[in-house]
Amino acid sequence: MRNVLALLRRELNAYFASVLGYIVIMFFLVVMGVTFAIVVNYLSTGPKQVTAMKIMFGMFWLPSLVVIPMITMRLLAEEKRAGTLEMLMTAPVTDFQVVFAKYLGAVALYALMWGLTGLYVVILRHFAGESSALDLGPIASGYIGVLVIGQFLIAIGLLTSSLTKNQVAAALMSFAVVFILLIVMNWLSFLFQGGPVSKVVRALSAFEHMEDFARGILDVRPVVYYLSAAAWALFTTTRIVESRKWR
Amino acid sequence: MQPMIQVENLTKRYAGVTALNGVSFAVNPGEIVGFLGPNGAGKSTTMRILTGFIPASAGRVQVAGFDVFEDSLEVRRHIGYMPENNPLYVDMRVAEYLKFRAKIKGVPRGERRDRLEEVVKQCGLDEVRNRVIGQLSKGFRQRVGLADALLAEPDLLILDEPTIGLDPVQIRQVRQLIKDLGKRHTILLSSHILPEVEMTCNRVIIIHKGRILASDTPENLVKTLHAGGLINVEVRGPAVEVAAKLRDVAGVAGVETSTGKDEFVRVAVEPQAGTDPREGIFKTVAASGWTLRELARQRTSLEDIFVQVMHDEDEAEEERRESKRGLR
Repeated sequence: MRNVLALLRRELNAYFASVLGYIVIMFFLVVMGVTFAIVVNYLSTGPKQVTAMKIMFGMFWLPSLVVIPMITMRLLAEEKRAGTLEMLMTAPVTDFQVVFAKYLGAVALYALMWGLTGLYVVILRHFAGESSALDLGPIASGYIGVLVIGQFLIAIGLLTSSLTKNQVAAALMSFAVVFILLIVMNWLSFLFQGGPVSKVVRALSAFEHMEDFARGILDVRPVVYYLSAAAWALFTTTRIVESRKWR
Repeated sequence: MQPMIQVENLTKRYAGVTALNGVSFAVNPGEIVGFLGPNGAGKSTTMRILTGFIPASAGRVQVAGFDVFEDSLEVRRHIGYMPENNPLYVDMRVAEYLKFRAKIKGVPRGERRDRLEEVVKQCGLDEVRNRVIGQLSKGFRQRVGLADALLAEPDLLILDEPTIGLDPVQIRQVRQLIKDLGKRHTILLSSHILPEVEMTCNRVIIIHKGRILASDTPENLVKTLHAGGLINVEVRGPAVEVAAKLRDVAGVAGVETSTGKDEFVRVAVEPQAGTDPREGIFKTVAASGWTLRELARQRTSLEDIFVQVMHDEDEAEEERRESKRGLR
């Protein structure tokens, strides 16, 4: 545990020692800020069925497509390219501790970014007034959904980063996987309406899950699904890091 | 006494390539052992196996009594390792990096500051402690790598090409540092530069194409492999007569004369193995009434041996191949 904390601290420092951390956060805030402005503008035209934060959570895929590859591409690919993996793996730490700390670091950065959007809630509360008191329940569950789905995508990004020495290749791979998991799944659920295929696709679709989370429905099934899928990805990543030993 | 490193029949095969072929050696506590060999001889591979970064294909490797495969973490606690090219986190500051390394190496919280100060002092890093590693010169980076290796006060230091890419002044500093460290640690270092090994190590292991060719002290290697080098003699006297008389001196295997611009004859005397005929040469020259200007033994350097051993090995291999071809 002490090892993981030391490694985690190094990971967080690495984000902010280079410009990468700042660039990612800036990108995220610009995208979310513009979206928020558009949403508020749209809602102010008259009474609507949806709340601002529900639309915001529904848009989670847009920054994710770019943010997830950006914060994960470096993690293992760069260590392999620079040879620093050798320094790390000849210190008395296990391969899993290294992988897990990198995962935690990326999740922490991701959580920090989304945490900054808490400001939107404050703004909404301030301007919405007494008449339409914001319902904090769905907002809380929405944030849980963002975190649960995001940590899974990060684990996938980490996995792709372990496959190559090339950061750009890692980024493209994780972009492709995130694209399939989010966008392609959503198209499929449009294509196959009704029937057994639709059932499977809907059960796996992050859009469907996010919709529920943003509505305030905290279902255990998707939570278990994303956490166990992330665990699988971390396990596989550890095996790939170890694979230098079988070659 | 339990050896610090015990390697038995170590073999490492990468897909299709045999990097190490039945290597055995031992390193005792307190020794400074130099791994010498051309690039691609298997030095780094051996070191990576010792540090647990990659496993062996076959054979047994123990460090401080622990098996590197079974007790990898325990072995790593006993080793301070500086890999080839000394990879470091270039985005971190020196002190910050060393603090991080001390943590993951399990240096107890209370001792961390003292250890950090000690290695910073030992490696002369005080003036750069707050600089970003990526902006340091290669010499300083090398010292950061060494400082890192020393952090947890390991019993064994494994240094892969510690002076590669340094300028002559830096090389001197690093060598001196290694020599000083040898007083407190067992050291295994690799190099393909001979004077380096000759100067810093008390034992040399010559490795070539994944096999150990020789293992001895630099002096013994010189003694056994080149039973005394040539003896240079310069005498004022008639060339033919000088050659004839010197050839008769006890312990001389052969002579070769050459005359220069002055009246001195230069004689290269080849002594018989294990003998030193210099005294006889002096007496003969004196008895003949000639003048002796020089009488000196050519020092065989490790470099000659290195080249010779490598050459012999390549020739032997060539012969094996030839005979194989002949059989076909």
